[in-house]
Amino acid sequence: MSHVFLPPDLDRLWNILEENPGALLYAGGTDLLVRLRQNPLKPPSLVCLERIEELHGVRERGEEVFIGACATHTGLLADAIIRDNFPVLVKGLACLGSPPIRNMGTIGGNICTASPAGDALPPLYTLDAGLEIRSRNSSRRMALTDFILGPGKTSLQQGEILAGVWLNRHPPFAIHHFEKVGQRNALAISLVSLAALLTVSAPGIIERVRLAWGSVAPTVATSAAVEAMLTGRPLSRETMDSAIPLIGDAISPISDTRATARYRRTVAGNLLLRLIEVDRRCK
Amino acid sequence: MKNAKNGILEIGKATPRADARGKVTGAEKYAADYYGDQLLWAGVKRAGIPHARIKGMELEGARNHPGVLAVLTCRDVRGSNRQGVIRQDQPVLVDDKVRHCGDAVALVVAEDRPALAKALDLIAVEYEPLPGVFDMETALKPGAVLVHEDNAEGNVLLKGELKTGRGEAALTECDVEVTAFFEVPRQEHAYLETEGGVALLREDGTLEIVVSTQTPFRDRAEVAKALGLDLEKIRILAPYCGGAFGGKDGITVQTLLGLAALHCPGRPIKMQWRREESFLAGVKRHHGRLHYRLGAKADGTLHALDAEIYYDTGPYDHLGGAVLALGLEHAGGPYRIPHTRLRGWSVYTNNPLGGAFRGFGVPQVAAAMEQMMDMAAARLGVSPLEMRLKNAVRRGDKNPVGVTLTSSTGVHECLALLAGQELWQERETWKAAARSFRLRGVGLACVMHGMGYGPLVPDCGNAKIEITEQGVFRIFSGVVDMGQGNAATYLQIAGSILNQDGDHLELVQPDTGKALPSGSASASRTTYTFGNALIGAALALKERIVRRAAALVENSGGGEDFTMAPGALVHRPTGQLIPLPQVARILDEAERISVFTFQAPVAAERPTADQNLQLHGIPHRIFSYGAHLACVEIDELTGKVEVKHYCAVSDCGSIINPQIVEQQIQGGIAQGLGYALSEDFIVENGRMATPDLSAYIIPTAMDIPDLGTFAVELPEETGPFGLKGAGEISMDGPLPALANAVADACGVRLFRYPLTAERVLQALAEKRGEGTGP
Repeated sequence: MSHVFLPPDLDRLWNILEENPGALLYAGGTDLLVRLRQNPLKPPSLVCLERIEELHGVRERGEEVFIGACATHTGLLADAIIRDNFPVLVKGLACLGSPPIRNMGTIGGNICTASPAGDALPPLYTLDAGLEIRSRNSSRRMALTDFILGPGKTSLQQGEILAGVWLNRHPPFAIHHFEKVGQRNALAISLVSLAALLTVSAPGIIERVRLAWGSVAPTVATSAAVEAMLTGRPLSRETMDSAIPLIGDAISPISDTRATARYRRTVAGNLLLRLIEVDRRCK
Repeated sequence: MKNAKNGILEIGKATPRADARGKVTGAEKYAADYYGDQLLWAGVKRAGIPHARIKGMELEGARNHPGVLAVLTCRDVRGSNRQGVIRQDQPVLVDDKVRHCGDAVALVVAEDRPALAKALDLIAVEYEPLPGVFDMETALKPGAVLVHEDNAEGNVLLKGELKTGRGEAALTECDVEVTAFFEVPRQEHAYLETEGGVALLREDGTLEIVVSTQTPFRDRAEVAKALGLDLEKIRILAPYCGGAFGGKDGITVQTLLGLAALHCPGRPIKMQWRREESFLAGVKRHHGRLHYRLGAKADGTLHALDAEIYYDTGPYDHLGGAVLALGLEHAGGPYRIPHTRLRGWSVYTNNPLGGAFRGFGVPQVAAAMEQMMDMAAARLGVSPLEMRLKNAVRRGDKNPVGVTLTSSTGVHECLALLAGQELWQERETWKAAARSFRLRGVGLACVMHGMGYGPLVPDCGNAKIEITEQGVFRIFSGVVDMGQGNAATYLQIAGSILNQDGDHLELVQPDTGKALPSGSASASRTTYTFGNALIGAALALKERIVRRAAALVENSGGGEDFTMAPGALVHRPTGQLIPLPQVARILDEAERISVFTFQAPVAAERPTADQNLQLHGIPHRIFSYGAHLACVEIDELTGKVEVKHYCAVSDCGSIINPQIVEQQIQGGIAQGLGYALSEDFIVENGRMATPDLSAYIIPTAMDIPDLGTFAVELPEETGPFGLKGAGEISMDGPLPALANAVADACGVRLFRYPLTAERVLQALAEKRGEGTGP
């Protein structure tokens, strides 16, 4: 017999997790409930986190911002702190799923699902997101890049939950860019995506840059080599053309019915060229 | 169903459709909303293997599972165990062999859904796998694996050839000739309401089935034959469909539900396919391969066309022959081409089942022909618009299969209206304004669509209208409304003739126990055929009512002095009002009902002596026409095609309700844009690779631009209030209009569809002679 638990607070949650070791955690359920549909004969017990107040909301703490894991995408899109500080995240969330999915889905869910196509993830990688992991007796911080191990795989242990996301409040970048390539304009799974944070000096020199690609590797892909190549050089077609070949080392896309690996590889590079246009539009 | 109070229903007045309120508030019941007391659930064990013999089935586990009432196989079917409209070659439950993954091998009835799911899981089938035939070229080779060993034509369900003038030989007389090969994908209907219904075998032996169907009367005959029942003992009720688009033109769950009910009498049994099952077992638009050669004279006059058309119909004749025939008839588009040879093959394979889908074989050929027009125009150095204006048919011309167009023919009017649009006039300015890394293009397509069943199958409507004792006019609709709005239009027709408002009109959804047989909701015929019948029935009833009312008024001066008003008759000379209930009460029960039969006229000429092609619908007499214009922007970095503007001009005759026609045209365009851009039902070795709506990509509201729709409103003399069919025509235009626009933008043409970003990016790279990068 399977159960659905709706604990109202963390104390109750810890008890439930101890008593139901095989239970699956969720908040919006936009990924999990679809997956469960595939095997209706053996439904597992479920624990829904959405009623736990502590896991909601956006709070400023000094130079940091805490985002509760159960904050919905729609809630974050409307939040002034998020809008003011993290446009790259707003741009990623704005093209995630559809309005009903954004109403239900949460940032914690997008992280724990650990899909390389999760649209919140490339922005969070560029923002150097830290995660707060809690269990009954402990609370620890770890980098998002260490938390996600592979498709659907995280370092979350039995009895632990993702409580929230920590971001530095003033990311030192003037340009926040996110682009998603999907098979349609909404309700699409990313074929390739690129989050980019840039600061370009008055003469057009790239001073600082962070890049993260979605859907082109088992986890979100970053490339220190590309970032190093771009830093200190003019934001131009020539610079981008010289950086594009370096992306190949950072990514390992797959082929499926949506697109071939070759396409994903090509577009992962081409999306860098958009940054030239984005910078022009910012001026 | 009561209509919202909105005054007298008049012809030509844009009126919110009568079914809108009930549907958006959830009050209207679809088949999926029917349950019943002590409901049982039925489900199907699907083969999951494309071609195999069944060596054995282990059923005991399922039979013994708690809550299971019946586990049935072909042995439990007493009738022919075959279904199909023309060739009955599809088993209700597999007997000799499995022919595609979606075949039904066993049927389970259980008390609830968990027990049903468990029992289906407990059924073990032992298969002897057979080599499959998964592409049409292989299927047509001598010695190919046969899908039906008893078919005299091997893997050919239907082949046909139509020839006019000197046929393909005339290509040598042309100054320019263009040749191309096109490949169009399978398309999934993806209706909101999946296939489903509820059946009940009553104590008196009547089998009642409420089902989401386009064809209640034909279903009754098919269920009777397949299950060995008396037709009179079967009653089919057809509520509004939550979408159908051709996918419910024939049997889906009806025979299975009937079989289940026979084994569990007295209790209602429900079956509702999951989305995945609908994808697996439901029919698809035919995958097509089309070889075209088109020749023209130096002055731009089309001279000869040679077309070879292959449609993959999957393992059964789910109207696959008729789909091919309509494709053949439309292969040359709405043009004068004196010499044609049009050949087609509908091919059996072990792929998913091909079948009826809005457009019915025409979107495939329109995709090819309309691009041939642009290619020929480019070779001749004339604009795509000039090329079409020069060759488009006029009334009295012969169409590409040699049949004289004797009915309204408005393709020139459509093109003229389109040519005046700002989108066309200012296209070069618009294209030049593209941002960096963007390419813009504009494309045209001209389409035609035949209406009705063709020359041999009688296309009849039998309308029935009653004045109730309460003085309300009740229409017994004989043709299903699957969303296209014909039911609301019937109310408008009757309301206009009888001068009634929505409060004095009712519509009873098709019910074989109450309505009269009036054919299928298909072939762009629903309002034309039944509407004509309804006019006759309503006029006769009106005359009867007025005549009898005259007897109620002293010195009335006869029927001419009466006018009908909502709920009443008015004696004009005296102003005396006679309430309709008063008139109704003096009518005998039989007199309160009026019926009228209309049979659609057919073409006088026969372009082929092939009786089988005639049976499959060639030729048609009445065609609707359209001209479409698409403005696209391509992202050079990703290959993505964005439709920025779209406009369609249609000749569907006169219009009864502009709102409903606009909805039909817009809906067809949206479905056509999906077909053009993203919808691709991918099959690998007979198995679907796009098994659900996360992998099969239908467009969303974010993918469809505002759609400009215009009508030329040439009256069709034989149509009810001058109308012609509007249900399918707009589906035919988007793929070629977009493909032509993409070719205009990129300077390179794509021959495989949909026009995915990857294909476009690849084409751009090949054009530059490189593998990557813009």
